[in-house]
Amino acid sequence: MKDLGKKERLLIRLVEQLDEENVVKLADELLNDGMDPLYLLDLVNEGMNRVGKLYECKDYYIADLIMAGLIFKQVLELDKMTTHFYVKHNNKIGKVLLGTVKGDIHDIGKDIFRGMLEANGFEVIDLGVDVPKELFLKKYEEYKPDILGLSGVLTNTVDTMKEVVDAFVEAGVRDKVKIIVGGNHLTEEICKFIGADNFANDASVGVKVCKEWMNGIKEQGVIDNG
Amino acid sequence: MTDVMALARERTQLFRDVIDGNIPKRVPIFVSFSIEFAIQYAGKNLMEAQWDTGQLEEIFDQICRDFYSDLLPVNAFRFPSFYRLLGARNFVMSSNGFLQHPEVEGLLQEEYDDFIASPYNCIIEKILPRIYTELDTDASTKALALAKAFKAFHDEMGTAIMIYGRLNQKYGYGDVNFFAGFTEAPFDFISDQLRGFKGISTDIRRVPDKVEAAVEAATPLMIKAGMQPFPSKYNATFIPLHMAPFMRTKDFERFYWPTFKKLVEALAEAGHPSNLFVEHDWMRYLDYLYELPENTIMRFEYGDPKLVKEKLGKKHIIAGFYPVSLLKTGTKQQCIDKAKELLDILAPGGRYYFDFDKVPITLDSVNVENARAVLEYVAANANY
Repeated sequence: MKDLGKKERLLIRLVEQLDEENVVKLADELLNDGMDPLYLLDLVNEGMNRVGKLYECKDYYIADLIMAGLIFKQVLELDKMTTHFYVKHNNKIGKVLLGTVKGDIHDIGKDIFRGMLEANGFEVIDLGVDVPKELFLKKYEEYKPDILGLSGVLTNTVDTMKEVVDAFVEAGVRDKVKIIVGGNHLTEEICKFIGADNFANDASVGVKVCKEWMNGIKEQGVIDNG
Repeated sequence: MTDVMALARERTQLFRDVIDGNIPKRVPIFVSFSIEFAIQYAGKNLMEAQWDTGQLEEIFDQICRDFYSDLLPVNAFRFPSFYRLLGARNFVMSSNGFLQHPEVEGLLQEEYDDFIASPYNCIIEKILPRIYTELDTDASTKALALAKAFKAFHDEMGTAIMIYGRLNQKYGYGDVNFFAGFTEAPFDFISDQLRGFKGISTDIRRVPDKVEAAVEAATPLMIKAGMQPFPSKYNATFIPLHMAPFMRTKDFERFYWPTFKKLVEALAEAGHPSNLFVEHDWMRYLDYLYELPENTIMRFEYGDPKLVKEKLGKKHIIAGFYPVSLLKTGTKQQCIDKAKELLDILAPGGRYYFDFDKVPITLDSVNVENARAVLEYVAANANY
């Protein structure tokens, strides 16, 4: 990101400030002026990284991340972006099977996580809310994801999450997939109790974990994503 | 006077002392268990018992019998019957019989002006039909649906209140009521029922002036909703707080705080103290909470109890902090040690009652033995 022009720097700053209207306007203008969509994505990503930093140092909060996700989506939906990425959309960095576990119908945390995963280049299969363990297993067989994400808000989802993990153990596929559980009530002990590989109280932490896993997987070459 | 009556007087006195700023004989205990927890604890079917509220007396009785509390430890007010009659989209049951609040959009972003111009009319004309599908019809069918739902509501609440009265008498619970009224912070009302979490989060950036005007317009309604039938310094209006921890401080200062403060002050002026469930992490807002009228009850879910005691403990009444999650994962000794630790911090100087950080919502969310042991420990040892 060296030698950026004035407009490039402005775009990054507008993303950082979550100035929806002007981000979309400027992104459209830059694309029409012939900017490579991938390069534009880099710029937006740089802005998003700054949003992430502001979130980490508690200048921004969840409400701001939701806005950031929306801006990202709008940029991706610009005509020039969709045509470009439709052609080569198979370079996803990993596949995540995601859902809110049975008994719980909350979707906000899951949706934020999904949006951030997609913005970070993951393919996400979202099974929705109140998802029984059988469905997680069935869809696992169908899609063979790298990562399974279980979401829940209610404190009793601890046992339900454990049941899903146990179902994967019984089916003999537990070691073929990384499992992350997400929810405000989760702790390290509870994560161990559930038998998941990791947990997140916060969507951005969850995405970080998933990215690290994919890096690890790529280095070892265990799972072929192609 | 019977033993039970004497016990009730003693327990009432514990809470009156806390409210009057005196040191009570012992730290009072007020925990509550959800209706779902109670039904499962009694070994009943979750779906059936929520519909057949006649079963609730026997169910709640078992909680009262087995878990120590100085005030009635059960309090249900959302029953599926009236939500179902209304075709509610804001309170629905999941597959396992658990009534929950999904994200709803009762008001579209382009309708803010209607709400601001006349919140009451907008609620009646636009929002209710959107949230309650059975009200989305012609006037006479709508009137019948509403009448049926209110009949169900009054029947269910009547049954519940009778049960609470009998349990209060049987177990000698204290005569103060921290749920004597119910309302929401204006910004939370707009978020939870009108625009949804995602909707409001984008609105405060896209149409900030309208959000600000809408929370102001909602404030008189929220004040009215929170008024109790009779003013009493020993009864409180319950206000569960929601959105503030998820917002930037700058946004909180503009959109959340002014009308919330107005609400609590107006209730206090009319003689109704507020009982706040301070959900999630409010540590950066403690100086604001300090400004609320004296004796506001604040039950904390999260944060540093030392800091809270230091900043708020002389003016307000503090509760909470005890992590329900520890009751699930900890040993009995660890659970009791945690109670000791919190009592050492929060009990000195009074103005404190013992409560968990949140309501245990289902039987499997805690180890029952641990919960019982902690409550018994506090009841036996937290003497001044």
